Amino acid sequence: MGKVWSAFFVFWAAAAVGLCWVSPHYGWWLPGEAASPLGTEIDDLFHLILIITAITFIGTHAVLGYVLWKFRTGQNRRGTFTHGSHNLEVIWTIVPASIMLFISLYQMDVWQRYRVKSTFDQQAMRAPVAEVTARQFEWRIRYPAPGKVLKDMPQPDDLYTVNDLHVPEGRPVVIKLRSEDVLHSFFLPHLRVKQDAVPGLVIPVWFEALHSGEYDLVCAELCGWGHYKMRGRLTAEREADFQAYLKKLSETQFDDGVTSQPAEAAEDENSQAAEDES
Amino acid sequence: MSVRTRYIFSLCTALLLAGCGPSPDPSFVLSSKTDELFRDARTPVVKALEENFGSPNNLVVWAKLPLDYGKAEPEVAGHEEAGWKIKHGRNLYMVHCLHCHGVSGDGNGTTAKFLEPRPRDYRNGVFKFTSTLSGLKPSRNDLKVILQNGIPGSTMPSFVLLKDDELDAIIEYVRFLSMRGEYEIKLVNEMSAMGGVTKDIERRIADGRKDKENGETRESILQELNEAIEGDLPDLQDSIASDLAEDWNNAESPDSQVLPELERVAPTAESLARGKDLYYSKKAKCVDCHGLSGRGDGALTEDYWDVPNTTPAQKYHVRGLHDVWGNPQQPRDLTRGLYRGGRRPLDLYRRVFAGIKGTQMPAFGGTVLNDTEIWDIVNYVMSLPFDGKVSAAPAPEEAPSQEEKVAVTGR
Repeated sequence: MGKVWSAFFVFWAAAAVGLCWVSPHYGWWLPGEAASPLGTEIDDLFHLILIITAITFIGTHAVLGYVLWKFRTGQNRRGTFTHGSHNLEVIWTIVPASIMLFISLYQMDVWQRYRVKSTFDQQAMRAPVAEVTARQFEWRIRYPAPGKVLKDMPQPDDLYTVNDLHVPEGRPVVIKLRSEDVLHSFFLPHLRVKQDAVPGLVIPVWFEALHSGEYDLVCAELCGWGHYKMRGRLTAEREADFQAYLKKLSETQFDDGVTSQPAEAAEDENSQAAEDES
Repeated sequence: MSVRTRYIFSLCTALLLAGCGPSPDPSFVLSSKTDELFRDARTPVVKALEENFGSPNNLVVWAKLPLDYGKAEPEVAGHEEAGWKIKHGRNLYMVHCLHCHGVSGDGNGTTAKFLEPRPRDYRNGVFKFTSTLSGLKPSRNDLKVILQNGIPGSTMPSFVLLKDDELDAIIEYVRFLSMRGEYEIKLVNEMSAMGGVTKDIERRIADGRKDKENGETRESILQELNEAIEGDLPDLQDSIASDLAEDWNNAESPDSQVLPELERVAPTAESLARGKDLYYSKKAKCVDCHGLSGRGDGALTEDYWDVPNTTPAQKYHVRGLHDVWGNPQQPRDLTRGLYRGGRRPLDLYRRVFAGIKGTQMPAFGGTVLNDTEIWDIVNYVMSLPFDGKVSAAPAPEEAPSQEEKVAVTGR
């Protein structure tokens, strides 16, 4: 390999590091600050692992570039044969292994809170806010009636929406995730929550939105030609607003076209009366 | 660079650029009926469609149609020219709807063949789930409700996250496509009545050859056809457009809305029992299609049915009912709790009152059943997912606690 090629390989490594370095300034980084308490810790883990891998990446590529440059072609040298170094082998086995061991132990706490059911908030587990059923290509949502507990089977007073999930803010909430057809993945990028929806399984997923607001809900598992369409919206709101939302939903869903329009009907009658008079 | 490197490099570049280049302009397809017309009758139809509707990349604003094309608003960026709204709708349609419903709204997009039920063909101007009386067009709001909620149980997804003005623009474009399709069908029917169908002309020519003295010749037949077309076409175009305008405007009128006069009858055990009796009665005949247990497997789904308007009568190859699009149509399985046209009691009332357009679900309202009877049936239907024991209804309001009562009296 000549000078050009050593420069070529060093250039791409340097470009990758440079691009990562500037990307937060251009908004090419994480989707905003984590909007959930666990999300913050997941971000910390991500950054820790990123730092470790970045140091390793820069170190190995610096050595690679140095070796490419030093032993480039056209220097009229003879290579020497070496059978390897036992000490070096031991070092570069033990050092990465201990880093891996450290990472695996260090993340256990977050993993446990994220995925081990017995550690979930028990109150939230007892009263899931909604059942979310993924389907090609939308999210169908079933809430229990205000003040009721979500049952496994549909109930006469259940409330239904599509692609529009509302949850109360500031406390852990659980949704029951199902799939009607194929594998989907329930992904809340801002809350750093991602869970596959598996046909035949009912999977509890917990998260906590720190602040009121609207967040993206997307499918993170290629589920068919319309995968890109499978976008929903998570709205976190204050408990009172959430209850009001459910109440309004109930009114809309059980609308019979008469009782819901007393104001309108009264207006009609008034206008008719006015017409009669004239 | 060595010769080999250069060779590999140019090969890679060629591969990368393969497929680049201008793609062909999209165009509206003609209905199969139009293609059955003889050239002399087909050409004016094609010309009329081009003049009045244009092509996807070159839409025509035709003031005779009840469409909100978007008025020119010189002060607003993007709205300088009339027709901005229909163009906006077209662009959104191309992104969100085209791959199932097709460029022309014929329900024949690229993904359509994978879907069951098939995507809707709008071109006959029939939309299944509306708030309007039997036989009427949908209102703009009906189309919006479908876009927002999707159609559960079909592959029509919800577009609830699109903005209101985006939905409005899409709806206007769908109405445009539907009017274009219906305009074409109506014009072709007129042309057929004038004797413009190729098969008819060929038959007449053959008959004429048999009777050399008094029979028609090819020239006389075509002359007659051309004279008829020349004489009638301008008036025809206008009258079809005004018919369309009347139909679509009518759907927006409050008088066309199906609204019950009585509020929903409370879904008591008595109401469910009355609804059940009606379900099995000779009067409502629900059981004939929806079956003894409400699973959509009634006796009428066992037969082979005639294809309408065929002489001699042909039968469908598939057992069971068919809709006006000629697709096999399963009466709804009422035990699943999936309601395609919406799950509000009002929606179910409208389905029973005005039927489902384009399908075998008839309209019962006003004639066969009165309001109370319809509500009893609705209550019974809404109880079928729960083994007929309780009907879907809102949870009773909890009695206000002592504190709230105090607060209320205090005010």
